Amino acid sequence: MKAVLQRILWRLLAGVGVLWGAATLAFVTISFSGGDPALAILGNDAQPTPEVLARVRSDYHLDQPIYRQYFIYLGRLTHGDLGESYRLRIPVARAIGQQIGASVELAVTAGLFATLAAIAIAVSTARRANWIRSLFSGAELIGSSTPIFVVGIVLLLLFSFRLHWLPSSGQQGWRSLVLPIITLAVPMVAVLTQVLRHEIEEVLEQPFIITARARGMSEVGVRLVHALRHALLPLVTLAGNFFGFLLGGTVITETLFAREGVGRLVADATTNKDVPLVLGTTLLAASVYVVVNLVVDLLNTAFNHRARPA
Amino acid sequence: MPTDSFIARSGVRPSKRGLEAARLDAGPSRARARAPILSVLAAALLFSVGGCGRQGADDAETKAKAAVSEVNEQGFVTYPTGDYVQQAPGKPGGTLHVSTSIDTAILDPHGVSAAYIEWFGRMVFDNLVYLDAAGEPQSWLAKSWTISPDGKTYVFHLRDDVTFSDGAKFNAEALRLNLEHMRDPATRSPLAARYIVPYRDGTVVDEFTFEAHLDQPYSPFLDVLAQSWLALISPKQIKENPRSAVTAPIGSGPYILESYTRQQGLRLVRRPDYHWAPDYLHHQGPAYIERIEVDIIPEALIRYSGLSSGQFDFTLEAPPQNAAAIRADPNLLLDRRIRQGNPYRGVAFNTEKAPFDDVRVRRAVALAIDREGIVQEVGFGEYQPKADFLAATTRYYDPAFRHVLDYDPVAANRLLDEAGWGTRDSDGYRTKNGVRLGSEFVSTSLFTASPVVVALQSDLKKVGFELRLVLLPQTELVDRRNAGTYEAIAAGVWHTNTPDALYVVYDSHEIPSKTHVSQNSSRLHDPALDALLEQARESNDPAVLRRLYSDAQRRLTELVPAVPLYDNYSFVAYRRRVRGVLYDTSHNTPIFTAAWLEEAPK
Repeated sequence: MKAVLQRILWRLLAGVGVLWGAATLAFVTISFSGGDPALAILGNDAQPTPEVLARVRSDYHLDQPIYRQYFIYLGRLTHGDLGESYRLRIPVARAIGQQIGASVELAVTAGLFATLAAIAIAVSTARRANWIRSLFSGAELIGSSTPIFVVGIVLLLLFSFRLHWLPSSGQQGWRSLVLPIITLAVPMVAVLTQVLRHEIEEVLEQPFIITARARGMSEVGVRLVHALRHALLPLVTLAGNFFGFLLGGTVITETLFAREGVGRLVADATTNKDVPLVLGTTLLAASVYVVVNLVVDLLNTAFNHRARPA
Repeated sequence: MPTDSFIARSGVRPSKRGLEAARLDAGPSRARARAPILSVLAAALLFSVGGCGRQGADDAETKAKAAVSEVNEQGFVTYPTGDYVQQAPGKPGGTLHVSTSIDTAILDPHGVSAAYIEWFGRMVFDNLVYLDAAGEPQSWLAKSWTISPDGKTYVFHLRDDVTFSDGAKFNAEALRLNLEHMRDPATRSPLAARYIVPYRDGTVVDEFTFEAHLDQPYSPFLDVLAQSWLALISPKQIKENPRSAVTAPIGSGPYILESYTRQQGLRLVRRPDYHWAPDYLHHQGPAYIERIEVDIIPEALIRYSGLSSGQFDFTLEAPPQNAAAIRADPNLLLDRRIRQGNPYRGVAFNTEKAPFDDVRVRRAVALAIDREGIVQEVGFGEYQPKADFLAATTRYYDPAFRHVLDYDPVAANRLLDEAGWGTRDSDGYRTKNGVRLGSEFVSTSLFTASPVVVALQSDLKKVGFELRLVLLPQTELVDRRNAGTYEAIAAGVWHTNTPDALYVVYDSHEIPSKTHVSQNSSRLHDPALDALLEQARESNDPAVLRRLYSDAQRRLTELVPAVPLYDNYSFVAYRRRVRGVLYDTSHNTPIFTAAWLEEAPK
């Protein structure tokens, strides 16, 4: 137990290091990427008077040397202050706070949907007749290699504009969540199903499966109780990767379906050189990664302890 | 591995999304960069999902022809006067569903330069004056005014029956506070403050009389006061909490902003006691439509599909790539207006640097560019080529010079021969003393539709000129513009409702620098032109102004500081059940005060 606690402590310390590294890298990248931040604040098509320009430069410490700006930034960060967004003119923390709920809702439901769908498909198609497997792996290949904005556009054209079943934009009620979830989930379902099926098929070859069948266990029981349980391990490992995908995927999905969310916030911040917002969202993404990796790591350890032959 | 491909895919998208997000002053031109990719997709998908009706194609063709004939024989742009006259009283009530492309992040008209303020301003605010169809200032919240003979004192007599939606009264003090708010550095005005730089101070003579004092005569003063960016907000809000105007501005206009949700849209509700609409709307009293819901829909294809499927009644930015489909749809109407100010300039020459310090080279390049081809490519048949320097909808536009820079490769070749670039190298490019004729062209994919750049390159190659493309992110392009480190640059448009647009873009006082962010990216410094444009700022005599601006337009066709390609368009589409849509005469964007809804079909 002590070893586990120590491990968590070290991982958290390393996490702080990762966050500092991410903040610094993002700061350096965006500071040296060219473009006058004062004009990013005022808009690229701005025609400010010299007074306005001077005021903006001093408000945001842009008249200070870059290293001073960096330390001012780090100093504020240690107080938990992410600064004020250039473009939205509200605190970054509030900007993220306003948007994160919608993104979490989308990402979590899409992740859940993808996992359940993948399990259902994998369990029911593993070691089935050749044509079923070919059909599904073909579909998976298409699903995993189609860019999600294409998936989204096809779904929109069909279910929203053609059949009028579901709304194309906004976020009123569960109906507006259906198409975004499917859009975001399709590539995940495709990849997950492939991995899972492969695992299940391997497990189904194992001697203990034959034993189970010999005991008279039904096919459904064999697949669900024995095969699936062993096949879930790689799923946990993949979870870290999927968080990365979800972070990126929400950018596209939220834009396409005109939903609010952190993904769209990131896209806007990057194109508008909204430095505090880019830094804030980078830190958010980094902390999500740190936490997710820690959890995956701990889960893996736990599973491995159990999986280890006694 | 899956992870890599996921990350790679998600990494590509933000910049694509940026194309749409960066759509500010350049209007349609910047957003068009994305058109080809999505339009191909759109076409492919639409046909695969289910054949769209092709009926009415002939009808559409005649409509398209009718629509491009807005420039008449004399070269003036005339919009039918019916546009400005309400034919019959409309039907009150209903909700108008509108889509627009970019997030309306800052709603204080004085604190932003983005184009969405043009239509948003007409919903929520009023202005002191408006421009009539001929571009003359007319009374709105100012009943009348006098201008002193030296052009430095304006006395405004104001309406005494106007209130803001928070109950604050409109009066001379409200006007004074607004002008102060515009130029207060804390407002961070990127536009309004610059437009009233000559304004020194104002005196409240009595409750409804305001005297504005200018440092020097400034004839565009009334014009700019008609722009949405200089609309009037509540004096109470300015005094008590000016920052709240950023997300919840309070105006005196026909609609009240009920809510704004970031990246989602605006909800507006009409103001029942509104009765001070400008005369040109021919509609007094409150607006007909009860509620307006504006949704932010970044993807052009979704805006189009949402409109054609009836989820939206109106899109404020119709995608030009869908123009043909919209025209072919009997339920839809496509409308566009040439916006006042400067047309879209494909290239601005740096007149301080070789090879463009030689006017013969500038002229040759302008003559070598075949605008017809470019316009077909990017405008999908909706744009018209433009070869002079002021939009035809602008007051004092002189059409006399509109063919001076028309496509003429023979003349271009002759000019380059004369300029000493008579020899050619093995690649076919012209040379002088062993140096190849050509230049770098600084652009961004956000700014110039790539087909334009490709067309420019190939047209210029035909006369032996090598255009070397340098693509930069938008922010770096602005850096280069302000530093003057380029030979030629993508300049885009500058929209303003006054012929002073020429001063903004070509006067030597407007040469940009790090501390003086300005629009003269040609870095043009011509004393003769400066004199004309500066005299025009000092005169309020229409006859004098007409002559001065005509001379300035002639002078520009002699100087060729840039290559105009096509006009700057406002491009909207809507369902035919939306009636009484009028267009604002300062920005040529739609105005909904007199619009009404017929019963929805089914």
